[in-house]
Amino acid sequence: MPVLTPSLNSPALSPAGKRQHASHRESAVAPYLLIAPFFVGFIAFQLLPILFSGYLSLAEWNGMTSIRFTGLQNFIALSKDPRFWSALRVTLIITVVCTVVGTAGSLALAVLLEKVNDRLASLLRVIFFLPSVTSVVVIAYIWRYLYNTDYGYFNVLVQQLGLAPQKWLQDARLALPAIIVMLIWAGLGWDALIIAAGLRSIPSEYYDAARVDGASGWSEFWHITLPLLRPTLAFVLVTSVIYLWGIFAQPQLLTGGGPLRKTQTIAVMLYEQGFLYHKFGYASAMAIILSLIMFVSSYLNFRFVKAEVEY
Amino acid sequence: MRQARILRWGIAGFLCLFAILYLFPYIWMAAMSFKPDAEIFSGHVFPAAPTLEQYDRLLNGYHFKGLTLVVPFLTYYKNTLIVTLASLILVVTTDALAAYAFAKFTFRGKAFLFWLMIGTMMLPIYATLIPTFWLFSKIGFINTYHALIWPSVIDAYGIFLLRQYMETIPNELIDAAKVDGAGPFRIFWRVMVPLSRPALGTLVVFRFLFIWNDYLWPLIVLRKESMFTLPVGIANMQLRQGMVVWGSQMAASVLATVPVILIVLIMQRQFLRGLLAGALKA
Repeated sequence: MPVLTPSLNSPALSPAGKRQHASHRESAVAPYLLIAPFFVGFIAFQLLPILFSGYLSLAEWNGMTSIRFTGLQNFIALSKDPRFWSALRVTLIITVVCTVVGTAGSLALAVLLEKVNDRLASLLRVIFFLPSVTSVVVIAYIWRYLYNTDYGYFNVLVQQLGLAPQKWLQDARLALPAIIVMLIWAGLGWDALIIAAGLRSIPSEYYDAARVDGASGWSEFWHITLPLLRPTLAFVLVTSVIYLWGIFAQPQLLTGGGPLRKTQTIAVMLYEQGFLYHKFGYASAMAIILSLIMFVSSYLNFRFVKAEVEY
Repeated sequence: MRQARILRWGIAGFLCLFAILYLFPYIWMAAMSFKPDAEIFSGHVFPAAPTLEQYDRLLNGYHFKGLTLVVPFLTYYKNTLIVTLASLILVVTTDALAAYAFAKFTFRGKAFLFWLMIGTMMLPIYATLIPTFWLFSKIGFINTYHALIWPSVIDAYGIFLLRQYMETIPNELIDAAKVDGAGPFRIFWRVMVPLSRPALGTLVVFRFLFIWNDYLWPLIVLRKESMFTLPVGIANMQLRQGMVVWGSQMAASVLATVPVILIVLIMQRQFLRGLLAGALKA
């Protein structure tokens, strides 16, 4: 971290007199005053709750009676709970598919957007950005109605094509893919925007040099764009993995986690256990596991991308 | 050369077509909100006889067989506005103050506090959900604006974003202000805040979007309909009225989404630029 402050000079090194000493002392208290409003809230609403969650994950509690310490009991119970394994699997599928398809799609979109003229590109960017600024509740309900079995527009289309209508959100095989399609749609513009920023930070001299050497569009993409875009792609990957592991509103609103828990993510199960059944200890154990998963997957992403850059 | 131009037109054409398809759910939402009941399930995208009936119902209540169902939609709107404004003022102030300290001061524990903040930024909201809910139910914050406003003020990401920007403000300007006898808080108002305006603008839009659209936390701490925010209220409409609600729910969605789209359009250049700068440095 760069240290820039001029008042850093210790009094011993500084030849100045008392006046400077006083202002030095003033600015020694100032930073603490500046960060105080944030850190008071941070301790109350972030740090202490996190520690308390850690403790609750080792206890049994419904919020009313006294907390009963049970050691690793919650984690053992989770490891034997088929609902938890199912939720883990569902969330993993969502995370992997949406990240891979979504990142590839938004990369393609961002690259193509750079090829059209600026005014059209900025209009299109706004369109693709819309789902990023729309409430997930609004998005989920639009899609829920589009997927509706009897009156939804997707089944109107399917029937016009001469196919049988589907129970998109009630069919155990289709519900998860249906949610994934919606998630990819919703995430495309945001990732494309961030990738666009990365694309613009690549110095044009690289492309000029490649053109002099007679490189084709594809080899330009593989040998210049992609390697130089790695830090940006790492950022996109990490943020979307964290977001997707915690996905809650979309499955909850589209299917409520059904049919047969086929779309129940960890977060939906956590909400159910914690806030519908008041099993605070059990839900806290899930929160701890979820936090660990996010931490580890971010770390692995960084490692992966870094290792690739160093070849 | 000619080939390149044809290719470029081809790409532009493809992207426009894709954008229209991409936009379809929004077109469908808007179209639904202007359909009379009889057309809601017609299977056509656009209404044959457009009407404001759904909006009228949403705002004035739904009359059905002598019963009147009222969705307090304007109350949801008011609640969302109050919470968003209060939270924005608080969050931008606390973030800017802390970012100034982290960008321009040296103090004991700085690195530790900074990394503590960044480390917890990586943790999901689920790690704080249950304790905070319990605390709020103990101190009577459930069903109050307090429950929504105070936790939303804690925004390590904003501090990170602003710090990145403030570090680029030349120290000479701060030194000059010091020579003029300005203390840290004066420097904050006179130098740091005006010069950080682009980053502050980005942060405002960012937080606006987050608070305006937040769903999980309001869902947990709001039980009374009179306290609902727009996302919770719109989600709740489904449970109240069943199938009849399609039209008015889409009307509510349109009304909840329009201000957000306007803000993004108005702040488009600044917001997107700031966002790009922040993302790149992260």
